[in-house]
Amino acid sequence: MTTTLADLRRYRQFYLFIAPFFLLFAVFGLYPLLFSLYLSFVKWDGLTPMHWVGLGNFRRMFEDDLLWRSLQNTAIIGLMYVPPMMILAFAFAQLLNAQWLKFKAFYRAALFVPCVTPMVVIALVFSLIFSSEKGPLNYLLTLLHLPSIGWLTSEQWSKVSVSILVVWRWTGYNMILMLAGLQGISPEYYEAADVDGAGAWHKMTRITLPLMRPTFRFCGLLSLLGTLYMFDEIFVLTKGGGPGTSSLNFGQYLFNLSFNDFKFGYASCVAYSVAIVVFLATLIVNRFNRDEDAAPKRGRLGAA
Amino acid sequence: MRMPNRNTNCLCLLTAAALALLTPGCTAVHGGVDPSTSAVPVNAPVHGDVTVWSWNIAAKSLQSLTPQFEQDHAGTKVTVEMNGTNIQSRLLLALVAGVGAPDVTQFQFFEAPHYIATGTLADLTPVAKKYETMFPKAVWQNCTMNGKIYAIPWDVGPCALYYKRSVFAKYGVDPDKIRTWDDYIAAGQTIVKKSGGKTKMLPLGANDMEDLFEVLLQQTGGQVFDGQGRIAVDSPQATRALSIIKRLRESGICSDVAAYGQEWLAGFSDESVASYPGAVWLGGLMKDAMGDYKGKSTDWGVTRLPAVDPGGIRVADWGGSVLVIPAQCKNKAAAWAFIEYALCTREGQLAQYHKESLFPAFLPALQTKAMDEGDPFFGGQPVGRLFATDVDKIPPLNRTSNWNEAVGYLKQDLSHWGATGMTDPDVLGGVARKLSKRLDLAVAPSVPQGGRVSQGIRPPNPQSWGNQTCDIGPTIDWQMPANDPSSTPVLSPQDWGLGGRSPSTTRPLLSPQDWGLGGRSRWSTVPYTHIGGRA
Repeated sequence: MTTTLADLRRYRQFYLFIAPFFLLFAVFGLYPLLFSLYLSFVKWDGLTPMHWVGLGNFRRMFEDDLLWRSLQNTAIIGLMYVPPMMILAFAFAQLLNAQWLKFKAFYRAALFVPCVTPMVVIALVFSLIFSSEKGPLNYLLTLLHLPSIGWLTSEQWSKVSVSILVVWRWTGYNMILMLAGLQGISPEYYEAADVDGAGAWHKMTRITLPLMRPTFRFCGLLSLLGTLYMFDEIFVLTKGGGPGTSSLNFGQYLFNLSFNDFKFGYASCVAYSVAIVVFLATLIVNRFNRDEDAAPKRGRLGAA
Repeated sequence: MRMPNRNTNCLCLLTAAALALLTPGCTAVHGGVDPSTSAVPVNAPVHGDVTVWSWNIAAKSLQSLTPQFEQDHAGTKVTVEMNGTNIQSRLLLALVAGVGAPDVTQFQFFEAPHYIATGTLADLTPVAKKYETMFPKAVWQNCTMNGKIYAIPWDVGPCALYYKRSVFAKYGVDPDKIRTWDDYIAAGQTIVKKSGGKTKMLPLGANDMEDLFEVLLQQTGGQVFDGQGRIAVDSPQATRALSIIKRLRESGICSDVAAYGQEWLAGFSDESVASYPGAVWLGGLMKDAMGDYKGKSTDWGVTRLPAVDPGGIRVADWGGSVLVIPAQCKNKAAAWAFIEYALCTREGQLAQYHKESLFPAFLPALQTKAMDEGDPFFGGQPVGRLFATDVDKIPPLNRTSNWNEAVGYLKQDLSHWGATGMTDPDVLGGVARKLSKRLDLAVAPSVPQGGRVSQGIRPPNPQSWGNQTCDIGPTIDWQMPANDPSSTPVLSPQDWGLGGRSPSTTRPLLSPQDWGLGGRSRWSTVPYTHIGGRA
């Protein structure tokens, strides 16, 4: 207990070796983190002196209808795009993992290209696709004798447009993760299942899906964070949340608060509060998952 | 037993270190300079180095002035640093820290009040007071606070109506007969009808109405904030401005495309739209976007902006920048001498007009023959004179330190109003309540303001406006406007490889990376140029 200082000296070379990371982290990670925490309790525009407001920012949060609106939009957009994206990503991953498919590298690259494409290009192309006047999407609709849709000009459809863009952009990324997950499943399981006479359906539901659970969870977590802090898609496609506030999400709202309104204190407070809620939610979800996983896994592995 | 203990100690050390770092961070934020020394000295000797921060075309424009300035003032050296997207973050940091700011820097006119209110800019009153009447009130107002002058207007953005000569001729519309917005709507309906709906009169998307609203607000004599900084947006004048927008949209003459988007720009060279109401810099944007416009050079013409009422004011201000001296500047005399040469002399302003087409805010420069030169792009029309007409008569908007925040919310509500069929009769009441709540400001009692201006008759003597110039108490605390990425996060045609530049002091908008958000490299290569909204 009391030998800490002596220990420090004794292992000082080792501390020296790990010091660069901790120093950099302290300056660029921990300091902003703590500073932001401090900012949550002040009013500050970035230039004039700060004013301590105690819990005033937190109180303000509960009356902030735009905050709730943005969180609601975030949830709706998340629910709209995560399931189709996951299903598509899994389907593509499954396809790319198939033995019979040729030119795998090509497809893999093709599917991954959207998430390394600069947002400007995407914005240009998608704003043309979604254009209500001459957009190809509306042209297709008229060919099918359907009424055209104000993809980016109506409040009902703006979230859908954002979701379509996000699905297009991030499916490839999730597919790569899932492909890695699929390739991590030992072929022995499938061979054993073949010997037992299991069909494709059983292989999928009894082997692939259960063993992919950690990958799904990881992708889900990334999507959750991605949805919450989604920014460039909205910033560019719907010009920061329009029409009205119909696609204003949390990330964009936070950006507006800080860099348009210059309410650094309040923005920190909002960011911290939501981050804490998300952190707790993630903890709980993970706890549930662990409990769920623990029992059957042991059984299955035992059986194998 | 020992391991966790050591970890805890380690963490404590780090925390202590972080807290130690934190403390100076908290105390250094004033960025304040003693106000008594922050004024620019009168008749001080001019020598030494001057560093200027500016961006793209505006920076080039200033750069072209430096040889002459250095020749006139021996012993000076002016360095114009071209800052791209990161100018705002760098400047903010420098102002907060109290060191590192340039001697002269640029702001867009609408964000100047925000910085002025923070007390981080030098007081130019002693040296600049004499120029007060030589700039249009509409831009000068953004440079003053509590009767003191903190910035000098650079360029101004008078609005007019750009129209396609061939289209107007084909459908028998005489641009000279478009005197009011009513005439404009009627002409638009003729064009839309005769073209079978192929050609619309103007592009105006539901998401982009706040710019036109701001233009119309100047014409009707309305305000967002009254002279005391209270919210005055729910006024008969503003309602009038909004009703014109509503009529424009409901008359079926608008093409519903996003401003500055690809389709919007396409209207420059095809026949999808017949006209654009826009500021003087839009002409430059057209020239750039059309690239090789030989042969089409006579197709665009300019006529004056339609008035609200017959005989009413036919111009409004949209865009432009100012130059300021940060209070921390050590060489204020030389910095001021450069600003004075660049912005407060005919020579300086006209050199920039000829070199980069920046439209001078300096009224004496607008009275020269340079404005009467024909522009081949507009078929030899002397558009400079047209834009310069009545520039000094534009009713100023009271831009407060929280202007940009207000405009952000205004945009949100107008866009909601537009997307939901423009049916809400109380939309401006809603805006006023929202602004009041979010900006912590009182709503002005509904006294009709600027009634005469709303009738299109300006006060007889522009000088008489001097006293009411923006004596708005700095209601700064945490409501700070700045540039507004949410309102018009526009990609410039430059970004899309359309080439060229538009002749305004338009600023490349901050990118998220500047703020350390995400920091994904793809942003860094693309300045999200803010050509739109308040360029």
